[in-house]
Parts: sequence; structure tokens; C-alpha cells
Amino acid sequence: MRAWLGTRGGGATTSVAVVESVTKVFETEGDGVRALDSVSLEIPDHRFTAIMGPSGSGKSTLMHVMAGLDTVTEGRVLLGGVEVTRLDDTERTLFRRERVGFVFQAFNLVPTLDVAANIRLPYELRGRRPTAEQEMWIAELVTMLHLGDRLGHRPYELSGGQQQRVAIARALATRPSAVFADEPTGSLDSRTGREVLGILRSAVDEHGQAIVMVTHDPIAASYADNVIFMADGRVSARYGAMTADEISSLMVGPGTRA
Amino acid sequence: MSGSIRAGVREHGASILVSGLSAAFGVVLIGAVNVLATAVRQSQGGELVQAPLTTVSAIFFIISLYVGAIVTSNTFSTVIAGRTRQIALLRLIGATARQQRRAVAAEGLRAGLVGALAGGAIGAALSLASVPLLVGSGVLPDLRYQALSPAMLAPVVVVVFTTWFASWRGSRRIVTVSPIEALGVATQQGGDALPRRGLRLFLALAVLVVGTAAMAFGVALPRMVPVDGPEAEIVMAAAIAVAFVGGLLSFSGVLMCARFFVPGLLGAAGRLLGRSAPARLAAANATRHPARSTRMTVGLVIGVTIVSGFQVAQTTFLDILRDALSAEPDFYAAFTDIETTLTSLITVFSILVGFSAVIAAVGLANNLSLSVVQRTRELGLLRALGFTRRQVRLMILAESTQITLTAVVIGLVLGIVYGWAAAQSLLGAIPGARLAPPALPVAYLVLVVVMAALLAAAAAIAPTRRAVRVSPVEALSAA
Repeated sequence: MRAWLGTRGGGATTSVAVVESVTKVFETEGDGVRALDSVSLEIPDHRFTAIMGPSGSGKSTLMHVMAGLDTVTEGRVLLGGVEVTRLDDTERTLFRRERVGFVFQAFNLVPTLDVAANIRLPYELRGRRPTAEQEMWIAELVTMLHLGDRLGHRPYELSGGQQQRVAIARALATRPSAVFADEPTGSLDSRTGREVLGILRSAVDEHGQAIVMVTHDPIAASYADNVIFMADGRVSARYGAMTADEISSLMVGPGTRA
Repeated sequence: MSGSIRAGVREHGASILVSGLSAAFGVVLIGAVNVLATAVRQSQGGELVQAPLTTVSAIFFIISLYVGAIVTSNTFSTVIAGRTRQIALLRLIGATARQQRRAVAAEGLRAGLVGALAGGAIGAALSLASVPLLVGSGVLPDLRYQALSPAMLAPVVVVVFTTWFASWRGSRRIVTVSPIEALGVATQQGGDALPRRGLRLFLALAVLVVGTAAMAFGVALPRMVPVDGPEAEIVMAAAIAVAFVGGLLSFSGVLMCARFFVPGLLGAAGRLLGRSAPARLAAANATRHPARSTRMTVGLVIGVTIVSGFQVAQTTFLDILRDALSAEPDFYAAFTDIETTLTSLITVFSILVGFSAVIAAVGLANNLSLSVVQRTRELGLLRALGFTRRQVRLMILAESTQITLTAVVIGLVLGIVYGWAAAQSLLGAIPGARLAPPALPVAYLVLVVVMAALLAAAAAIAPTRRAVRVSPVEALSAA
């Protein structure tokens, strides 16, 4: 069951995530909603990838199935070389704990725990103490994210930007295969948002962390190395790095692209 | 609209049930006193029975009212905690805190009305139906009984007002909800911080000290005043009244102080449960969310105190009586078969106490399950970050174990103190009575502990199963 533990960084693959003809149907009263319609794509390792699209395009669902948060109706998902779609609920949970980092739009932190405990939560959940090397990494993250004087604070005592920085520190703390960020700047003002995006960017550049970010904000997507567009449960286009203006013009309609 | 009605039943179901139980209890007690008084009046010395009977049933009704009020107030606090976002949004749009609090109190009034009327009707029907049954089976002599009386409206009205007041008390956190909390930036309310901490502690201690002093006075009164003839009865009645009111005050003081010492005890209990991830998180949850954990603990404390307190009172009562009997055999020669009478009386008392315990149990179960439901997102986050379903279940179970351990210890201590004080004030004035130590019916107390633990675990397990069954994705998107 734990065969995937320690298989990180095989070196052979350049994709951190592989999605093969994945379909996800949500059963609602009467008929189902096809959130993902036979989607296939690869997410490059050590890169910052943005997934864009209007609400209902399936971008969040795509993130959830890639991260092992949700099951698929059909198809396969590999993350860091592990076939996530073959794991049962408990195996997926352990997989997330060991190999995936998360930053959500809001409600990222456990309200009863202070900042230090929230950052260490992944280790706490494993029931193991961080090794000396991991302690150094956590200390480095705390310094990098300017959280040194906040460690004893509870989440409600922090601003939105500070909360997101704590969530990022937690997501990076275990050096996961990939960090999934769901609208990480969605509830922040633009200056704080840019700061958070800069942190994510430098985690990719300086530490080779693979990050997948779901967003509908062209400015946020302009920080990424790759931009994937979703529409009606399908991948409609994918591009390399672009400016916010280029992304905006693409979003208005495929025909208007210069 | 139908959605809000359903939500209303889910949130207020327990309050409706509690007020229904209290009202039914009050109505049945009045019916029973009427019927018994009629039956006894036929035999010699019957006039002597009605007054004590009325006093005893009034005491039991007040206790059930008191328990019901605390349970309802707690339930409303929990409901409000779950509605913080919605309240903040309405505040943002322009509703005043006062308006919101009035609206919540109106929900309390409606719950009280529905519950008390239904409960009163059921109580009246029970009284009406049981009289012919009891006469038919030969338990009661065949007389003209008045099974229904206008006085039965009194408990119904009292319960409605008590529920209304309790919902007003329980909704006081509304005043501290800030409109900003609607904006979604704040992870969760910081409402745990206690405003005017010093003043609250002072008030709580004042109530505790005054109540305990009154209770001690009630216990000591029979020994300070020389008793003889008819004066003994007056002294006894005064002792009982002072000790009862003092006891209620003193217990209220303990509950008001709970916020200041329960979280620490919970943390200590949590450390007994080991160092596994679920146990450590559970301990952190109890100490870092003091309002929530105190509310749940208090619910169980009330139940344990009442049940164990009455048992201690009865056992001590019997001890004192046996003591007095052997000390002054001549004085009691006229009373034959006193033990049999007492045993049947105690059976009746146990049923009456059981009623308040049921009300406390309803409150506890409801409070535990509501608070698990309210934590859906937190549990979803833990699941997303790698807590398995089993670990989430273990964490909730560890929390409820901490609460049970703490509440049982507090409840047993309080039960022994109040039970002993009750027995002393009741019988301290009779000839030959000595100041006896509290009697400890160990087997019964163990049973109370086991029942409390089972109840707390059962109340937490069902909602936790529901909470972990939803996928983390759904849990995180839950409002």
C-alpha cells in the first residue's frame, strides 16, 4: 500500500501530473453534470502551472482529482508517478499527507491551532517529529515568509495575507511532489495578492517546487510558466508564460487574440 | 421557506423537546399531587400529606426547569456560534445587534410555545388516562378524582417564559459579532475572547460564595436552634428552603466559573490520553476553544451532579435516619414500617430525578452533535491535509472522552457535596440525628460514570460518521 512512499524524484519523468481521459460526472437529482469530459493533459515538474477558466469550466474539479481529493468517474490520474485513481480513500489520504501541499482560497488553517502548530500540522498528522533537516527547512520557510513574530498567534488574529503565507509555509513544509493552490489570491487585496504570488513564484525558481494554481485572475496567471484554459469540462487551450494583458485578451474570446 | 423550517427543526428540535418534557413533567406532577391528596384524605392524617407533597413536587419541577433553562441557553449559544457568518452578513447589511438578538429570542419563544403546549397537552392526557387505569388495577381507591385542574396551566406558562429567557441568555454572543466576519477573510470568529473577564469572574465567585454560605447556613440551622414540638417543623422548613435556594445559587456560581477552570482540566484530561496525533489535536481543540468545550462539559456536569447528588442524598438520608432510630428508639416507636415507606418514596424520587437527567442528556447529545456539524469545514481541511477518516473519528472520540472524564469528576464532587447538604438540611432537625459524613453508593456512582461515558460517545459518534462520509471537497465548500 505504501509502495509510493520514497519514490519521489525518480528523475525519469518530467511531468509531475499525468491526466489520461478523465471524466467526472456529479450525480445530481435526476441527471448528472459532466464537470470533466475526457480530459487529458500533463503538468510539468518544477514549474508553475496556472489553470484558468470561467466558473463551471471544471478547473477546480480538475485540481481536486489531480490532488487526490476527489475520485474520477473514468480515466487515470498519476501524480508524482503514483496512480492516484487506483487508491482507496485511506490510501489517498495518506498520499495527500505525504506528497501533496494545499493552499485554498479561505479557511486554510485549523482555527484552534496557532501559526507554528498549523505549519507543523502535516508532521503532526503523520505522528512523526520533523528530522533535523526538516526543522531547518521549516525555520527557513518561517524566515522567508516573515512569520517569525507570528508563531504564537491564532488564525483569527492574522490578516488575510498573513493567513495565506502560513498556508503556503504549511504546504511547502513537507516538500511535496506538487502544491495545489485554489484561487490563493481570491480573497486578498491586489498588493497582498502580488506578494503571495511572488512567494509561490520563488518557491518554483529557488526550490524547484511544482505548483498548480487554479485561478480566474489574469494577473495571477501571468506569474505562471504555463497556462491551461478550461471550458465546459475540456481543455480548450494551453500556452507558455504570458503577460496579464495577453491572458485577458484570450479570455475575452479565442477570436480576438492578436 | 421549507428549507428554513427544516433548519429550524434541526436547530431547535432539542429546545422544543426540552420545554415539552419540562411542561409535561410539571403538569403530571400537579395531577399526581391532586390525585394523591384526594386518595390520602380518606385515610387518617391525610391533611398532613398535601403540603409536603406539594413542596417536594415543586422542588422537582424547579430543578427540571433549571436544567432545562441551562440546556436551552447552551443550545442557543451553540446555534449562534454556527450562525456567526450569517449574523455578520445581516449586520453588514444594516441589522442592529439588538434586532438580531430579538429575532433569535423570538425563535426561542416559538420553540418554547410549541414545546410547552405539546408537552402540557401530553401531560394532561397522561394524567387523565392514568387515573382510571390505577383505579382499575386497585392501586388507588375508587373515588372521585380531579385529574385535571386549572393549576396545570402554570407550568406551561412558566416553561414558555423560561425557554424565552434562556434563548435570550444564550444569544448574548450576537452582540460581539462584527460585520467584518462576513467578509470571509477571518478564518473563524475570535469570539472566544472573554469581554470583561475580571468582572465576570468576580460575579461568578460572588454568586458561588453567597450560595454556598446560604447552603451551609441551611445545613447548620437545625443544630444551632434547639428543636422542640411544633417549632421543629418551622426550623426544618426554613432549613430546607434556605439550603435549596443556596444550593441552586451555589451550583449556578460553579457553572458561571466553569469557563475559568474547565479548559485547564480538559487539557489535563487530554494529556492522559497519550501523544498520538488525534489525541494531541483533541487536547489542543479543547483548550484553545474554551467556550465550546466548556459548554459541552457543563451539559454533562449538570446531569452527573443531579443523578449522583440525589443518590448520595438518599443514601445519606437513610444513614441519618437509621442512626436516629437506634439513638432514640422510644421516640420513633410510633412509626412502624418506616423503612418500607422510605424505600417506596425513594423509588418515586429516583423517577422524578431521572426526568431532569433525561433533559440534561437531550441537551448534551444535541450540543455535541451540533458542534460536530458546525465543524464540517475544519474536519474537511484536516481530511484534505491527510487525516484519515479513522483519525478524525479518533480525534472526536478523544475530545468526548476528555469532556466525559472532566465532567464526571466535577459532577461527582459537586453531587457528593450538594447531595450531602440536601440530606443534612432535610433531616438535621429530627431527634437523635448526628452530623453524618456523606454516604457514597459506589456501585451506583460507577453506573453513572459508565452511562455518562456511553452517552457522550454515542452522541459524538453518529454526527462524526456523517461528517467524515462527505468528501473533503464538499466539506471545504460547506458554508
